Amino acid sequence: MKWHLSPGRNRDGDGRNIDESLGVLAGEGAHQDVRETAGKGARPVPEPKERAESTADRDSYYGLPMLKEPVWKWPIPTYFYVGGLAGASAALGMAAGRFGGPELRPLCERTRIIAAGGAVASSALLIWDLGRPSRFLNMMRVFRPTSPMNVGTWLLGAFGGFSTIAALLRQKRTGLLGPIGDAAAFAAGVAGIPLAGYTGVLLSNTSVPLWQGARTTLPPLFMASAVTSAASALDLCTLPPAAQRAVRRYGIAGKIAEIAIARMLEREAGVVPRVIAPLHEGVSGSLWKAAKICVVASLAAGVLRQRRLAGWLGTVGSLALRFAMVKAGTASTLDPRASFEQQRARLGAAEVTGPAPELEQGTAVPAPERVLVPAGA
Amino acid sequence: MSKKGFFTDTTLCIGCKACEVACKQWNQLPDDGFKFTGLSYDNSEHLGSSTWRHVAFVERPMALGMQVSGAGNFSWLMMSDVCKHCARAGCLESCPTGALVRTEYDSVYVQPDVCNGCGYCVSACPFGVIDRREDDGRAWKCTLCYDRLKADMTPACAKHCPTASIQFGDLVELRVRAQQRVEELHRRGTTEAYLYGADQPGTEGLNAFFLLVDKPEAYNLPPDPVVPTRKVRRSWVSLAGAAVAMAALAVAAVTGV
Repeated sequence: MKWHLSPGRNRDGDGRNIDESLGVLAGEGAHQDVRETAGKGARPVPEPKERAESTADRDSYYGLPMLKEPVWKWPIPTYFYVGGLAGASAALGMAAGRFGGPELRPLCERTRIIAAGGAVASSALLIWDLGRPSRFLNMMRVFRPTSPMNVGTWLLGAFGGFSTIAALLRQKRTGLLGPIGDAAAFAAGVAGIPLAGYTGVLLSNTSVPLWQGARTTLPPLFMASAVTSAASALDLCTLPPAAQRAVRRYGIAGKIAEIAIARMLEREAGVVPRVIAPLHEGVSGSLWKAAKICVVASLAAGVLRQRRLAGWLGTVGSLALRFAMVKAGTASTLDPRASFEQQRARLGAAEVTGPAPELEQGTAVPAPERVLVPAGA
Repeated sequence: MSKKGFFTDTTLCIGCKACEVACKQWNQLPDDGFKFTGLSYDNSEHLGSSTWRHVAFVERPMALGMQVSGAGNFSWLMMSDVCKHCARAGCLESCPTGALVRTEYDSVYVQPDVCNGCGYCVSACPFGVIDRREDDGRAWKCTLCYDRLKADMTPACAKHCPTASIQFGDLVELRVRAQQRVEELHRRGTTEAYLYGADQPGTEGLNAFFLLVDKPEAYNLPPDPVVPTRKVRRSWVSLAGAAVAMAALAVAAVTGV
């Protein structure tokens, strides 16, 4: 296939057909970097699950996906877990510092370390997943409330700052630095609560049918799961009995909430069966089921005072829940009929604007049987 | 500067793909590989990071309007798809860096020197238009030929369309022309003709709109698209409620109440 390659000096095979000794690369797409030739750098259209040989039924275009698959890889669901863990730990730390006695001081110190470590790990995961990691600071060149990702970046920035100060000053109890550390821990807790749940809003604010269809329950689910994550991580730490009791209460309530909200989510998104399907089948379905089983088992272990077991089960469950949600959302973008059926069920724009005129006119008319008229008749 | 856009009249499209070629050539986009899909004459399948115009080929076992076809009850619909430059754009509203902007022509433009490749726009677009190129790391889509508009030229695809299926111009004027075309088609017996996106409530209109003769799904277009931001208020409210609950839970866990 040499014939379609460019003879230019540095652009051999980028598929542009431009000889740089004759042409100038100044087009709008001229600076699109091509490292993989023959189109391999562009994401291919995924092979559809229900590929149609023709468009005869007119219900989809050869079964090809209508939406683009999310580009996020494993760092993003991992971040959802780590960020939630850090935020919910900071929240417990804030409460322990403000309302707890000196017997809870070890818990405060432990949560400050988890919060700060989580903030650092979160930032690393997020930057790693960018297409251009060196430009991560561009996230902070604007403040855009319509973008949950932008809001979250500011939130994570503030949380990172407060939690780091709190962690560095965790052993200072008196003097000037003690109150500064305590105030930073309080501020980290205040920022940590929304940090644990904004990722649910971030997913809801997309065209992905499952995430959009679950937009009421997704933020509370992620927050409940964050409480489970934090309590499970603290269950794996050595803590004095008073702190253990606080963590146990936190964890049990979080797990009960998580199980209940997961059930509500299934009901919310399940209005359109195709939208919820990826939570019941395939890899994402297995992960979702595993997450629910782990959380229930972790709850049982917590009630029976098996701290370590509850900790491990809760951690695995929370991680599985985030991966299940991301994977299931991805699967729902690959099924064009999930979006189509959701929107036909008046769960598209109609939910906020009333029905679209196009939807009413263009499509309500079933194409009638036509009598062929000979030309010129 | 007046609002500019495209009116794509699919009843005039002959599937020549001159728009795809002209777009690639003018914008100096790399190839997507040369593959044979077997899906009618469509080998590019979808819009993407380096495919900013895409011609869809729909084969139907039914005749169109008063058309007579040698193949009997059969019709072949072609549609040149493009970024819709939504009046309220999901990509733009979700972009955390401000790389996506609205230009003086009311088009939606990605600034390649700002985009950091977070990929949020890819999932926010209700039409699956914008995509990230993996070896480049940034998101790309149709620019409405911003460079050509600056030089007072017509976008490459519209300029090359041999049947005026793709019409570029002032949006107000295009809408009037499109409405007249629908009425004319109805008079001539193609009663299926309707406008898609001239007044799309979910996006408050599309600056690139279409005349279609079958339901949107047949062309791989969403029947009732919505900019996700319009629906997400409920998520923020439920986040706020859950935040209060979580704070209360943390206090209760610590105090043992």
